Amino acid sequence: MIPTSWFLVLSAVLFTIGVCGFLTRKNGITMFMCVELMVNAVNLTFLAYARQFHQLHGLIFVFFVMAIAAAEAAVGLAIFISLFHHRETIDVDEANLMRW
Amino acid sequence: MVFFFFAAVAVIFALVVILHRNPVVGALSLVASFFALAVMYVLLDAPFLAALQVIVYAGAIMVLFLFVIMLLNLQHAEEPPTRPIQQFLGYAGSAFFGLALVYYLVKYTVLQLPPGPFLSDARQIGVALFEAYIFPFEMVSILLLAAIVGALLLSGRPGVIPSAARNPLPAGDPSPSARLGMTQGSRQ
Repeated sequence: MIPTSWFLVLSAVLFTIGVCGFLTRKNGITMFMCVELMVNAVNLTFLAYARQFHQLHGLIFVFFVMAIAAAEAAVGLAIFISLFHHRETIDVDEANLMRW
Repeated sequence: MVFFFFAAVAVIFALVVILHRNPVVGALSLVASFFALAVMYVLLDAPFLAALQVIVYAGAIMVLFLFVIMLLNLQHAEEPPTRPIQQFLGYAGSAFFGLALVYYLVKYTVLQLPPGPFLSDARQIGVALFEAYIFPFEMVSILLLAAIVGALLLSGRPGVIPSAARNPLPAGDPSPSARLGMTQGSRQ
């Protein structure tokens, strides 16, 4: 039986990689993929604790997180398409105004 | 050992995501990382969520990412270099954050007591979802509907969706087709 703390350390490493990518990249879609990476790291934590404490609630939360990540991806990518139509770029440094 | 192999796969492909300049390579690496995470879910006795991870994340969400990258033709777009101070602060800050996280995880070793057998099948999850969690479940369905409508409104070209509420026109802009022509002209 694999200890829970191993999964927690893996989750921490993946979350840190996501934070690092989000802070250092400028391509909007790559930053978005880093957010997905962080969301998945948190999902792994939920499942690790669910197994540790024999609770089903962690699994249900992972289910909801997946649904909300899907909604977030759809709306976020639509925003990037709209931004690309107006600015011809998805460099987030170019998108510094709330109107066009 | 299975855990270490797939943990290494997940971490390496996650590093490829943040280090590679081409977003298509990044998206495909993220798919590989998600597959490795699905193996982690199986190791955590949650095979149903592993299947959901492969189908929903690797199958649907990442295909959406790839579709948008290819729709916008970003494979050849040159990403401008990040400012050195921003790069340094990003790496240093996230390294500090990660080290602190791992330090506290190792320090509080209360979680190293062995977990017992725990099997979560789809039936248990379904019963919990439709009994205890019925209200959040319905809220998520409404949220997904709102996301569909929002994505359609946001990604439609100006003029395709005849909606006055979406984009209030400046005075003297006659018709949707004129708006479309204006937008295309300004893009060139």
